[in-house]
Amino acid sequence: MPSHVSHSSGLQRLIAQLAPLLIVCAVVFALPVLLNNDFLLNKVARYLVLGILTVSLGLSWGFGGILNLGQAMSFGLGSYAMAMALKLKTVPVHTGASGLPDFMVWNNVQHLPWFWEPFRSLSFAIAAGLVVPALVAAALGWFMFRGRVTGVYVSIITLATMVVINLVIIDQQSYTGGFNGITDLAQLEIFGVAFDAYGRATYYLVAGCVLLSLLVAFAFTRTKAGLIVQAIRDHESRVRYFGYDVALYQIFVFALSAAIAGLAGMLYTVVMEFASPTFLGVQLSLSVVVWCAVGGRQSLVGAFLGAVLVAGMQGALSESAAFLETWTLVMGALFVLVVLFLPKGLAGLAQVVLRWIVQRRQAAGRGVAQGVGQTEGST
Amino acid sequence: MNSHLDLRDVSVSFNGFKALNALNMSVRKGELRCLIGPNGAGKTTALDIICGKVKPSAGTVSFDGTALQDLEEYEIARAGVGRKFQVPSVFRELSVSENLEVARARRTSVLGNLRWNIGNTGRADVERLAELVGLTDELDRPAAYLSHGQTQWLEIGMLVAQDAELILMDEPTAGMTAQETRKTAELFARLKGRHTLIVVEHDMGFVKAIGDVISVMHMGQMLAEGTAAEVEAHPEVRRAYLGSGGISHA
Repeated sequence: MPSHVSHSSGLQRLIAQLAPLLIVCAVVFALPVLLNNDFLLNKVARYLVLGILTVSLGLSWGFGGILNLGQAMSFGLGSYAMAMALKLKTVPVHTGASGLPDFMVWNNVQHLPWFWEPFRSLSFAIAAGLVVPALVAAALGWFMFRGRVTGVYVSIITLATMVVINLVIIDQQSYTGGFNGITDLAQLEIFGVAFDAYGRATYYLVAGCVLLSLLVAFAFTRTKAGLIVQAIRDHESRVRYFGYDVALYQIFVFALSAAIAGLAGMLYTVVMEFASPTFLGVQLSLSVVVWCAVGGRQSLVGAFLGAVLVAGMQGALSESAAFLETWTLVMGALFVLVVLFLPKGLAGLAQVVLRWIVQRRQAAGRGVAQGVGQTEGST
Repeated sequence: MNSHLDLRDVSVSFNGFKALNALNMSVRKGELRCLIGPNGAGKTTALDIICGKVKPSAGTVSFDGTALQDLEEYEIARAGVGRKFQVPSVFRELSVSENLEVARARRTSVLGNLRWNIGNTGRADVERLAELVGLTDELDRPAAYLSHGQTQWLEIGMLVAQDAELILMDEPTAGMTAQETRKTAELFARLKGRHTLIVVEHDMGFVKAIGDVISVMHMGQMLAEGTAAEVEAHPEVRRAYLGSGGISHA
């Protein structure tokens, strides 16, 4: 029964593809047991959040072929959505409970602006943190992909859009906190659980979101739509002549990627305890591209690990006396080396090594079998 | 009158060069039509017009009563037109089976395709298609690793998978060995009747092996139509091919 055989091999392949994802998540969940240090745990949680952000870029870049240099825009929008809700939960010194946030008082704002009003509801804020980045991406994608903009032009447009939004946020100080961002936030509280940035609850919240976003992204790549998106990456016009509306598929993956980045942004606010225009800055956005390339953009787990490892290294280097001034150079060199010698990143390297081990083992197995055959022949 | 595909006075120009000059062509349902002509005659452009890659500056294209000239490429594909390109176009990083799966465009909407991949019927369908084009042993290999002839076959298999009513083939045997070309001719004979095919070819042996009616194009216009023997005897055709050793050596 050939169809039965192929079915079970398909299941085996699914398990094999899912295994690295589950192993990595198991390690993430087990870490607090080994790491009994709240400060370090907060730091790791930060890197995990950046990992989610990088997975979102891997989805649009590695699978969809859309190099979004403004991925941090979605991240920043999510982060501000969460910060606005948490800011409204604080009790301002000047105006008392449910009064104006402090920075608005300093800027002589009289009433809470209309677009702040709904953020009194945490559920609304969380929904907005996912939906607003997705809608902004879908609108931008509608113009780009309907107009058949591809390649480097997509990168330029996304980067420029992010810079514009960044400048608007800095400029509109009375509504956004401007350059300082939104600081001095209340703690996130869901169903009576308080998420202290340095507490275990926050770490597990982040770890759960890591698992969730990796699974959602993985599930998408396994659907037929995910397959079509990869086909578009390889040969856009060929897909069109099979009757698929290419732009809609591109818009979908672009918006899905933005929603995951928005989730990461919300978590980042919780972990960092503030939102800042630097969260949608060029430096972060380009770093995400480096992490994704180093980890392997065509592997979701690879992109995640790339971010955690490289961002972790960045953190360590920038704090060490020896590399205080030069750590950006080290990062640049790493990027160049990976692009030159590991086009598929660390994930590609892992694949090559695994295949080599399997082949060695098979060869060894054959060698033993031959040896047995020879001894049998000689007796 | 009651033709399947109808091109009426179709003209198109690129920077002043008239690639098609009031071209007329009609094809019946289930026919296998070969399109030949000297280089630059406008054969590929004619296919581009039908599948929507190029928009005509004048004239109409109707397919089963639907006007194609104003539709987007994906809408034309949904109306039942499939296209194989001169340069083999497959998804290089996807496996052979994934290539065929993408081509099986039963549902085309994004949300309709947000379901987990294939199922047993889909897999059986893909295996049957792979067998048809002789790629059963390559199902799990990335398309990038296929030979040139195999890539050509994969794209032909993808068009069979798409199951379009009208299939446009641009030089399907280019770069194939004599044996591969013969197998391709056999495959086309099987497709004839179930699908309507328009095949652009240079290989006259192949054309004679598969074609019922041959259309000869020259300078963006239809020069002659008929069986191989009729076309070869046609004085205008002989003149168009003058100097290139006749039609059989084109």
